[in-house]
Amino acid sequence: MTEHRSNTPQSPLHEILDVLIPANRDRRIPAAGELGVAAFVTEAAARNPALNSALVTLLSRAGELADGITPHTVRQLESELPDAFRLLLRETYKGYYSRPDMRAKVGVGSHPAHPAGYEVPSESPALLNELTAPVRARGPVFRDPTGDQK
Amino acid sequence: MNHDPVDVLIIGAGASGAAIAWSLLETRMRILCLEQGDHLPDIDFPSRREDYELARYAEFSCDPNVRGLRQDYPINADDSCITPVNWNGVGGSTINFLGHWPRMRPSDFRTRSLDGVGEDWPVDYHDLVPFYDMNDRNTGVSGLGGNPAYPNYTPPHPPIPMGKLGQTLARGFNEKGWHWWPSDVAILSEHDDGRQKCVNAGTCDLGCAAGAKGGTNFTYWPMLENAGVELRTKARVREILVDEDSGFATGVLYHGADGQVQEQKAELVIMACNGVGTPRLLLNSKSKLFPEGLANRSGKVGKNLMFHPLTGVAGVFDEPMKGHEGPMACSILSQEFYESDPGRGFVRGYGLHSGRSTTPMTYALGGYGIDNPIPWGAEHREIMDNVYPYLAGLTVVTEDLPEEHNCVTLDPDLTDSDGIPAPKITYRLGENTRAMLKHGEARAEEVLLAAGAKRVLPKGDKVWWRAGWHQMGTCRMGIDPETSVVNGWGRSHDVKNLFIVDGSIFVTAGAVNPTSTIQALALYVGDQIKTNIATLFD
Ligand SMILES: Cc1cc2nc3c(=O)[nH]c(=O)nc-3n(C[C@H](O)[C@H](O)[C@H](O)COP(=O)(O)OP(=O)(O)OC[C@H]3O[C@@H](n4cnc5c(N)ncnc54)[C@H](O)[C@@H]3O)c2cc1C
Ligand code: SF4
Repeated sequence: MTEHRSNTPQSPLHEILDVLIPANRDRRIPAAGELGVAAFVTEAAARNPALNSALVTLLSRAGELADGITPHTVRQLESELPDAFRLLLRETYKGYYSRPDMRAKVGVGSHPAHPAGYEVPSESPALLNELTAPVRARGPVFRDPTGDQK
Repeated sequence: MNHDPVDVLIIGAGASGAAIAWSLLETRMRILCLEQGDHLPDIDFPSRREDYELARYAEFSCDPNVRGLRQDYPINADDSCITPVNWNGVGGSTINFLGHWPRMRPSDFRTRSLDGVGEDWPVDYHDLVPFYDMNDRNTGVSGLGGNPAYPNYTPPHPPIPMGKLGQTLARGFNEKGWHWWPSDVAILSEHDDGRQKCVNAGTCDLGCAAGAKGGTNFTYWPMLENAGVELRTKARVREILVDEDSGFATGVLYHGADGQVQEQKAELVIMACNGVGTPRLLLNSKSKLFPEGLANRSGKVGKNLMFHPLTGVAGVFDEPMKGHEGPMACSILSQEFYESDPGRGFVRGYGLHSGRSTTPMTYALGGYGIDNPIPWGAEHREIMDNVYPYLAGLTVVTEDLPEEHNCVTLDPDLTDSDGIPAPKITYRLGENTRAMLKHGEARAEEVLLAAGAKRVLPKGDKVWWRAGWHQMGTCRMGIDPETSVVNGWGRSHDVKNLFIVDGSIFVTAGAVNPTSTIQALALYVGDQIKTNIATLFD
């Protein structure tokens, strides 16, 4: 089987990836192709024959599409080659979000690597008391069929 | 290697195997534990690596079929809507579990007499209370005392922070007038005994590098190994041997690291291989005395498999919910709909669990336990930038009723790397469960809106696929040898020196995560063994 090796800038793969995860210019978040996810995908394809064959098929079909790579033509690839497309999509998400620099850019939803973490203050006893007061006020909410036998 | 006979042979070094070993330590019997996996030093946990999320889809997946490591056995789940997940190695599935630690409730042990479904257990909540307490101390459990959903008890450590997400949802429950409580967790809220308190990074399924999560790799096993319990790793048991004359178990055949078969003799054999691994091993231990599998005269080995089928509902709020700050699974738990209410159209009930948010990659790929990537293109950008950070979710965790057709059998073709037949799962959702899931989704939506969500995301109509975290019922306890596999203290009805201590002995499932009960039960069985030691095999 031909191994897919096209990861040069502006390669069709790069362009498809930019469509799959576009940039957010305001927040300076790059698109997937710009970030270099093509290298991740091609390396993964070298280890995974199913992904490699999906890539070869998708890119050869993409080359036949007259309009070049646009959201419309990528949608066409998805509907014509759903299984291959799904494999590429998964790998794209994996490549994009496994980048540590992306975790910082995603910002609020980022998770640091141990032993780093977050300082989260404990609720004070007063707050816990206030929040749980209505629950406690209702009294027990369980059935205890054997409680009085013990 | 020393293959001298031992007094006690435990198979499986996970949650239950560790607990029973600890209980039996004081007897000074010679205890050996055989474990198919190995120690996993915490330095090797993926949660320490910058690209940790990738491990969740490869060598640290909770799904053994994805991991495919040497110590794993494949599981054929083609005939199931849920696939079992686990970890095979020292610590068992407590390596990648999420540490949510609710106890079962008193009514869970009496579902037949109270609600006409399932069976009553031969033990009850109050029998287990001292063992729940003991295990909570050994594990390092955090939580808030005084939960009106239970007879009163107080966890040994104060609760972990609920965080913004938990507080917001709690106010929503209060608005509805519904029960909720900060979750009990097997996670340290304060430093304890050389273990660090939780750092709130939220990657609990990838190994807790802080040692805050009470996996038995951090709690029981270091103590047990220091005390002289032998833990033989890379030792996969293929068959339990039985003496044809006495009908007693004599020991096991196991594959060592080199794949060679070894024999280990023992006076007492204790199985702790989880709700799928234990019936698999019994069914593979066929002999003239037990042609249908060891300890299986009742025909119930492998039957009545229960999971906790679940689904999730998420609301989008105006402000970031900071769901990523804190342990992955646990903030608050509502048990408003836990007990039966005939007006609801189903028996028994469910819990509403507030999970925290998952990591960006996992969210993009569909969520934890789900394979369904979110949309690509402009919609992707919109979701990741303007929805994901603002989410708070609830999972509906339902009680699964025991049904014989839901079962573990041996696959005729598939085997592990030592040639031992793999388990095959046959499982479908009951009508009662479907009704509960539907009811739970509607209630979750109500509470999210009451908590201030602007909108609730469209729900998928499927249960989560990789949600076979809890595997129960496949060798159930009971008084009657015709309808159960072990007696009220875990001893096989058919083989008097064979015990089972994992979740397979559950009679019903409750609607809570099972491990606190699994370990309490293992400690209870250990206590019964010690109490009955003089007449143990009568
Ligand atoms: C991702 C995930 C999240 C979870 N989250 C929670 C949670 O939040 N709360 C909760 O209560 N529970 C949770 N669970 C479930 C919890 O981990 C289990 O209930 C618990 O570990 C079961 O204990 P056990 O002793 O029965 O089995 P395990 O802990 O799985 O241990 C069984 C051991 O037996 C070994 N074994 C099996 N067969 C053989 C053999 N033939 N020879 C030798 N060794 C063998 C295995 O390698 C394994 O180490 C979760 C599980 C997973 C996978
Ligand atoms: S969030 Fe807490 S419990 Fe979870 S892995 Fe990190 S330190 Fe451990």
